Amino acid sequence: MTKTRNNFNMWFPPFKSLSIFLFILILISVTHGIAQAPTVRFVDGEGETLAEVEFKLHQEIVYLPVETLKTAFDPEMTHEYHRPRKQLILKTKGKELRLRMGNTTVNIDSGKQTFTLPAPPLAIEGQPMLPIHFFRKILAHLDDVEVLYNPNLQRIRIMPKTAWALDVSDDTREWTIIIDPGHGGEGDLGCKSQNGLHEKDIVLAAAKEIKKLSEQHQLSIHLTRDQDTEKTLIQRVQTANREQGRLFLSLHCNASFSPNHKGMRLYINNPNGQPRFRTSEMPRFGKKRLNILNQANYLKQSKNFANVLQKELNFLAENPIVITEFPIITLSDVSMPAVLLELGYLSNIDDAKQLSNPDHISELAVAIIRAIQIYSASVNQPSKSNGFSERKPSDTN
Amino acid sequence: MNLLRKILHSRLFMVWGITLVVIIIGLAITLVLIAHSKRTRILDAPPKLPDTPNTTDILPPPEQVNIFLLNPTSLEITPVQVELRLYSEPTERLKQIVSALVQETLPNYRNPIPRGTLLNEAYIDSQKTAYLDFSHHLADGHIGGTTAELLTVSAILKTIFDAFPNEIIHVQILIDGKEKKTLAGHLNLSQPLRF
Ligand SMILES: [Zn+2]
Repeated sequence: MTKTRNNFNMWFPPFKSLSIFLFILILISVTHGIAQAPTVRFVDGEGETLAEVEFKLHQEIVYLPVETLKTAFDPEMTHEYHRPRKQLILKTKGKELRLRMGNTTVNIDSGKQTFTLPAPPLAIEGQPMLPIHFFRKILAHLDDVEVLYNPNLQRIRIMPKTAWALDVSDDTREWTIIIDPGHGGEGDLGCKSQNGLHEKDIVLAAAKEIKKLSEQHQLSIHLTRDQDTEKTLIQRVQTANREQGRLFLSLHCNASFSPNHKGMRLYINNPNGQPRFRTSEMPRFGKKRLNILNQANYLKQSKNFANVLQKELNFLAENPIVITEFPIITLSDVSMPAVLLELGYLSNIDDAKQLSNPDHISELAVAIIRAIQIYSASVNQPSKSNGFSERKPSDTN
Repeated sequence: MNLLRKILHSRLFMVWGITLVVIIIGLAITLVLIAHSKRTRILDAPPKLPDTPNTTDILPPPEQVNIFLLNPTSLEITPVQVELRLYSEPTERLKQIVSALVQETLPNYRNPIPRGTLLNEAYIDSQKTAYLDFSHHLADGHIGGTTAELLTVSAILKTIFDAFPNEIIHVQILIDGKEKKTLAGHLNLSQPLRF
């Protein structure tokens, strides 16, 4: 026994085995690093990977090989590339697309539809390559799909539009959703970016995009402001109540004293959040307290709505979106489930750049509309006569 | 003439003359020393403290106090130790600590209180609620955004609750003597807050 152990110790002293282990570890990490070329991951509506494709960067733009369409979008897709004429013909989903290398125009079915891409397709190393914009913008016109792109994580989500035809009651379909673009007018610009972007303009653009998109999905959306006008909190609440809104989403852009704060944030009004209101038995702020309880009745639903928004918007985020609860003035007097969404930090260079991109705004709108549909479909809807307003305050804690 | 020369050369004159010179030099040294000691005493004196109702001639000793500022790396509101000569009377102490927070500019931290903000007045009521009346800069000079608003209020609340763990349980923020619903349109300030 002793001899065997000695032999073992002679050949494998502890430090030696440790160094072998470290060597293997370093070798794996180095070879892994070499093998790991940058890729774009395509996922479906459920987050399952459809394809992982290596990309080439040309002037900071992501380019993908034409074959990507076959693996990620349409297995029956065919393509012809005429090298001398630099012409690419794609046949997919019963449509014929004509593109030319170095030219930004996409011609569908001999001119029935034409689109202009922000960057042209290119022949890279003799192979025709498509810019990321093609996947981001054109696919939705070829099939019943919605496309979301996360440039930070290089992920593309292709979701069938048919998945939206959720099993919802007619009553739910009649819901009016209130979208509240924060701030507005000359007196309330909101926060601003270093390059002069104003919160009030970005949130209005996003709200209008949501409204535009909602019309394609028979969803009734009402905006608390559709112009660059100043609205008081009371006016916003009055609009929401007058329109008999069933959901309230306030859109804002964030700011911080540190340029490192970035990403989206979700907020729910909770007077018992952090920081919290004084818990007092005295009816000192009688009217206000009544209103707070009103909104507090919807705390549970507001949380559910925030959770759905979080899940849908996470795809577009670099890091998971955090939901925070504290007393929020914007939502405190709203008598319906209400959430405040901060679309990104204007004090952060990357976020500000993304928020100035109309493609990103329309993708945010896609995710928000989807979240509204999923939430409204998930609600076991009470009849209008005994709506949410009858919930007891005790439900909230 | 002879008499004058005699006097000048006399031993008596020499003795008196030397004594006089020594006295003058001694007096001059004493005066210089007095003047110097006065100047150093002025330099060593602590900065003038605000007028208080019960000001005493004895200055309070320096104390270590936590001021809460934003750490731009961890993105958290973190305590930073500063030395202040604080009065024992809670309201005066509160004014001194909040004024120190408002003015603090440490190189590796960000102060989430907008520049130019002043504390107008502060008092603590019988229910242990501290009322802090700030100048309009706290709201008008605010950069906006929910996070920034939370950071501003958190820095104030954390600094106060750390310094007054038993004396203060709620904080009501006022702007130029009036209740303001919000600083930048997100956080509700219409009621006293606590953590
Ligand atoms: Zn805002």
